[in-house]
Amino acid sequence: MKGRTVHPIWIALAALLAALLLSMLVGSVSLSLVDMARVVAARLSGGEIGADLRVADTILFSLRLPRTALVALTGSALAVSGAAYQGLFRNPLADPYLIGVASGAGLGAVIVLSLRWGYDVAGLLAVPLASFSGAVLTVLMVVSLARVGRSLPVTNLLLAGVAVNSFAGALTSFLLLRSTGELRRAIAWLMGGSSMGGWQPVLAVLPYWLIGLGILMTMGHALNVMQFGDEQAQQLGLPVETTRWIIIGVSSLATAAAVSFTGIIGFVGLIVPHLLRLLVGGDYRRLLPLSLLGGAAFLLLADVLARIVMTPQELPVGIITALTGTPFFLWILRRSRSLPYWS
Amino acid sequence: MKRQSVLLSVLLLLALLVSACTSAATPAATPTASPIVMTDGLGRTVTLAQPAQRVVSLAPSNTEILFAVGAGSQVVGRDNFSNYPPEALELPGLGDFMGFSIEQIVALNPDLVLLAEIHPPELVKSLEDAGLTVYYLKNPLAMEEMYPMLITVGEERPTVFYEIDGTDPSKPWTTGSGTFIDTLLEMAKAENVGRAMDSQYGQMSIEALLAADPDFILLGDANFGVTPEQVAARPGWGELTAVKEGRVLPFNDDLASRPGPRLVDGLEELARLLHGVTLP
Repeated sequence: MKGRTVHPIWIALAALLAALLLSMLVGSVSLSLVDMARVVAARLSGGEIGADLRVADTILFSLRLPRTALVALTGSALAVSGAAYQGLFRNPLADPYLIGVASGAGLGAVIVLSLRWGYDVAGLLAVPLASFSGAVLTVLMVVSLARVGRSLPVTNLLLAGVAVNSFAGALTSFLLLRSTGELRRAIAWLMGGSSMGGWQPVLAVLPYWLIGLGILMTMGHALNVMQFGDEQAQQLGLPVETTRWIIIGVSSLATAAAVSFTGIIGFVGLIVPHLLRLLVGGDYRRLLPLSLLGGAAFLLLADVLARIVMTPQELPVGIITALTGTPFFLWILRRSRSLPYWS
Repeated sequence: MKRQSVLLSVLLLLALLVSACTSAATPAATPTASPIVMTDGLGRTVTLAQPAQRVVSLAPSNTEILFAVGAGSQVVGRDNFSNYPPEALELPGLGDFMGFSIEQIVALNPDLVLLAEIHPPELVKSLEDAGLTVYYLKNPLAMEEMYPMLITVGEERPTVFYEIDGTDPSKPWTTGSGTFIDTLLEMAKAENVGRAMDSQYGQMSIEALLAADPDFILLGDANFGVTPEQVAARPGWGELTAVKEGRVLPFNDDLASRPGPRLVDGLEELARLLHGVTLP
């Protein structure tokens, strides 16, 4: 049965490698391959970088490399959380923003952006910190509204999520309309166009990513069992409530950390798991690691597009993911009508 | 002449930074060998080893000022909205508020990048991380100090509605108090009816506009193709005195919304339109 088919994980790894490479090679400035090779060689050997290569060096190592790393972390966090939420809620429409991460992060960011912050460490960190706390507080609010005693019914979560999302969204719109200054920055942020570069964002996201995705990777079997429904899963020996709390906790933290630096990037958490389900089926032991690789690859490709379609202007990557994601999602929807791949 | 005007100090500052013109207006410019150290609008200390020779200007106001002080030849890149003077259009556009290409800015190898108050601190950080020297220019706050001679224009104070965007004719966008446009109107001895709003920019309902019934309607959106004829055809607008008496006038918004040297032109234009006065 196994035969000579290549394991999908290798294909996903190859796709991710290609996307990583593309993200380093392509930008609004085209560097010659020779120059890039010389810069990399000089970096690797620790040698001096010639004056003629300084621009190429800055572009490759100060701009493209940290951005590539942050985009890869964000894409994988969104896709894995999306896959886990779809399994947890047993709902194909679930995405990582379902219970408040995005609306809370957006509200936090817009509150801070409507004030004026100076150019110092606190000022630069104000937006990520506010959006992270906004996301975490909103999720806590949804969870506490939805819970009944110690259990967390899925329907309650969904409804509380929808309600709190609209409420936070309305507050955000109100603040935007009242805003006197930083409106465009806020709009760009809400579309996933945060312009903060450098390595600090990568280092700040990394712990949440490692812990969150590390834990989620072990949840494949539990999510498979949960597809039978809560009672069945409980009878099969799965601590359903505990598992649910853990998945919600780590997914929320990982996505909140990721979007607090990149802004709100839509559709990755929705379409990447669905694409992979179409290709390899619904086994979460496969789906979660594949979502990690696929999410990173997809967002990297979207980011490359965002850099080059309107050169020299850079588009917020959320526009690209939504523009490519919406038709794709509709296609999935049509396909799933004729071929019930879900459930 | 003791009081140095704000605009003059801005011009001097930029002249010092780029120091192209060897005019007598820059006595502070020391021999070129010593480094230039200045504090910018964010309180950052900016050091230039020598006057900047390759400047990237990412705001229309800065571009206009640079060309006005004769440093146009040292500007090597601009933002997409910098459209004045016409020579500026020949320079490569590097993006706009939705996103600048830091890569292309780096590739131009500038020794100075000039930002303005429209830019977020993250942009300063990103440019610095890329090893560039950044100067952040704050908007001048007290425009009255710039042009004291113009305050004496006119005795009557006509009421004016300044339309920024009339895409929705039932509630066009206008300016409240505290903006450049509002300050210019004040200096031109006009009453801005938009001051009834409590925000700097907002949408005023046509009903409130009919109640205020301004003497003049200035079309700041004329640059986007809005004409007095279109305004007259809008539902309900025909009742306005300004529409009936032909005092709906196109106005070049670039003259009023950018904190650059052309604000003077804007004020002169307002004096001409509202008072029929031609300033020297």
